[in-house]
Amino acid sequence: MQQLDNQEILMKLKSSKQFWDIKKKIKQGFSDQQKIGVNDIQKFAQSCEIEDQLIKLISHILKKSKKRETLKEDQIEFLNTSKIKWTELLFKNLDIVHQKTKNQEEDDTNTDSKLYIYDEKNLLAFLQTFKQQQSNNLYQNVQFQSNKILNINIPLKSSQSILDKYQYLLLQEELSDEKINKIRKQIENEHLDIELEKIAQTFVPNGERCLLYLKYFEFDHQDTVLQQHFVKLQKECLNQLFYDELLEIDGHEISEDTFYFVFQEQILTCLKCFIRDRTIKENIRIQLQSGIKKEHAEFQLPITGFFPFKNISKYVAPLCYLSTKIHIIYALFKEFFCRYFCFLHAISSESNSILSLCMQIEEIVSTRSPKLFHHLKVIGCDTLKLIIHQLVYCFIGDMDPPHILTIYDQIIGHDSLEILVILCVGFLNKYKSKLLLAKNQENVQQIFSELREDRFQELVQYAYKQ
Amino acid sequence: MQNKKLKWKSDFEKSVIIENFVNRGWIKSQEKEEEQTDWNVYWATVWNVRNIFNPKNGFRLNDQQIINHFPNHYELTRKDCMVKNLKRFKREQDKEVLETFNFDFLPTTYIFPGEYSLFVEEFHRNPNQTWIVKPAARSQGKGIFLLRKIQQLKKISGTTVTSNMTQLNLASKENYVVSRYIDNPLLIGGKKFDLRMYVLVTNYKPLKVWIYNKGFGRFCNEQYTTDVAEIENMFVHLTNVAIQQYSDKYSQKHGGKYSIDALKLYVESAYGTDALNKMMDDIHNIMLTSLKSVQAVIQNDKHCFEMYGYDILLDSNLKPWLIEINASPSLTTTTPVDKNLKMNLINDVYNIVLPNDDFPDNDQKQQQPTKVGGFTLLYDENLDPNNRKTQKRQSVKIWK
Repeated sequence: MQQLDNQEILMKLKSSKQFWDIKKKIKQGFSDQQKIGVNDIQKFAQSCEIEDQLIKLISHILKKSKKRETLKEDQIEFLNTSKIKWTELLFKNLDIVHQKTKNQEEDDTNTDSKLYIYDEKNLLAFLQTFKQQQSNNLYQNVQFQSNKILNINIPLKSSQSILDKYQYLLLQEELSDEKINKIRKQIENEHLDIELEKIAQTFVPNGERCLLYLKYFEFDHQDTVLQQHFVKLQKECLNQLFYDELLEIDGHEISEDTFYFVFQEQILTCLKCFIRDRTIKENIRIQLQSGIKKEHAEFQLPITGFFPFKNISKYVAPLCYLSTKIHIIYALFKEFFCRYFCFLHAISSESNSILSLCMQIEEIVSTRSPKLFHHLKVIGCDTLKLIIHQLVYCFIGDMDPPHILTIYDQIIGHDSLEILVILCVGFLNKYKSKLLLAKNQENVQQIFSELREDRFQELVQYAYKQ
Repeated sequence: MQNKKLKWKSDFEKSVIIENFVNRGWIKSQEKEEEQTDWNVYWATVWNVRNIFNPKNGFRLNDQQIINHFPNHYELTRKDCMVKNLKRFKREQDKEVLETFNFDFLPTTYIFPGEYSLFVEEFHRNPNQTWIVKPAARSQGKGIFLLRKIQQLKKISGTTVTSNMTQLNLASKENYVVSRYIDNPLLIGGKKFDLRMYVLVTNYKPLKVWIYNKGFGRFCNEQYTTDVAEIENMFVHLTNVAIQQYSDKYSQKHGGKYSIDALKLYVESAYGTDALNKMMDDIHNIMLTSLKSVQAVIQNDKHCFEMYGYDILLDSNLKPWLIEINASPSLTTTTPVDKNLKMNLINDVYNIVLPNDDFPDNDQKQQQPTKVGGFTLLYDENLDPNNRKTQKRQSVKIWK
């Protein structure tokens, strides 16, 4: 993205509903007057706060037009060191996986299914190993408790602020047809991302979701460009990479899912293109691995700058509902990953990072459901271990697609992954009574192995129950 | 809560039937085979229903008995009878000039052997057309094949067939239906599928129809292709689970079944709300028109109800086509989700036909709510017999 000139700013302003509302207000303010000078307009704008609104609007447009920088270094030094260690560990895992695949080729009876570089349990286990000399009083809002898995001194938003932010979801009612039609028209006419975010926070009709996402990511007039890019990547897929094999194995789980099995081939195609996409490195918001180049190693990091991991297929799957065009599905997946899901795999103190989200969940559960928190500890089941899968994979596979797409709406709506904190807390509260009766890990596994149906609104309701 | 000790009988050893009866506290009838009186609820085969209603047997059902088929259900559920009745109904409607029914959901179809010569004329007019040949009264994909050359009919005639023959003698006595093959099906993930949807008819005169909100798409395991080399590959073209279960790619976990809810989400998200609404309207039209087409010929009986399995194919324009209607849709469960669906389906059927385990009189039937479990009333001729279109629109809204 480049810095915009005045003409471009005006074009972007004109694509916003807010701009036209402001213009209407000004016209109404001068309806009787025949001669209007610039000073008159300025005075009027200042008097009814229109000037502030316009300034905010233009600032937002300019801010969005700036090139997005990939976060490479964290403000906390020990996390940078940890990221290097994590990357080294993943390289070791890669060697193990490679050896396993060689063994399988030689021995058909060897059906070791752990052919992935890392999964969410590995990631959580690594986060747990952090030991840090805590700088006293650096971050006041973190309460250090020895019973928590993660004891790390990083800046953390207050749990109450997150709970307050999403409380409006409790009041959401079913909308009338008239209101839904109004929202449809809004989506068709609106282009400014802050307005689209507001819509995404409240309600997105199924028929307009794809359009909203495309507009939000500024893809709505880029069909040909997206298609050409995808076709180019597909051609590169003719050259097989070792990671392709891992992606094919990863796809087996999604191929068994009753909601996503129909998209199995599309998902695999998208992922094979993804790991060959050079533009990801410059678009991703945060660097996942530290970019070490290993001397004499058979494999290096993929061109994306990070290793594919277990269940990466899950992130693509829900987006397959949105379009019949695979290049659109790919573009949406890529954007969601580069903006949001990357943080779920990044060693970072950023508010969207897996570390921050985990700490928020622990904080809320330990303070609002201390009995549950303590009981799980006693029976050897940490809170985070119970929800890490749901957190890292955004409940995909746990909730039906309409609820997952609502999660995606909220992620866009707040430009944040914090909704996952609310849902994880709600998930634990929903099963609290059963968990409190569990005597050991087997009991806990039994609870979650039964057929269950978790819904977005239901988990939100549970999150606020104490 | 239902707790009346009704007696049940079932010709099917299916858990979804038996568990439902047991859960209601009903008792299994201990009658001997030849006795026909000691039951209240009977889930029967079509052949046993035919025997029960055969006047030669001298058996009459009493007011406390209910059975799951109409005596001559085959008028709707045999492929050749369905086609015959739809064509007849269309001719009648054309004369009426009322144009209240849309018949554009049945692919061009000929019944063999009677309409063989008509088929040959059409075949020559469109030499690139593929046709699908099906035995009129079989199920599970048995005996079905795709036809591109007249000579392929040797499979059913037993002798050489040439294109200048005006008559076809079939090796067996059964009829066949030959339909234009819909070679542009809607594909998801590159694979063909059809829809199985459930419709309950509790009365034909006046017609009362319920539609179930759960159903599924049945997917082929192979990528769809119109390549002539794959024309005999049933894993590409025939969606029957009975066929697909033998594919190497068959999954025990989902059984190739994709829920109607998921399909509706996909269609709405990818094609738009208006497209979804039109598609559902067209599907409802198929159901109503097909049932109306046999209303005059079906032997209505207060002891009878019937739960049909409608097989519908969507083409690439989202237009639904009627493939066939099953009188005994499979109640075998292939996955936990499938079992859940069919358990609830049978439970809801009996909640409608025997509310609170009572045999409702006409007044009670009139007062039934329009939604019972997963069933929604699609059409009730009693409500407004002359305004079918209004009813259809209303019931579609209710159903959503």
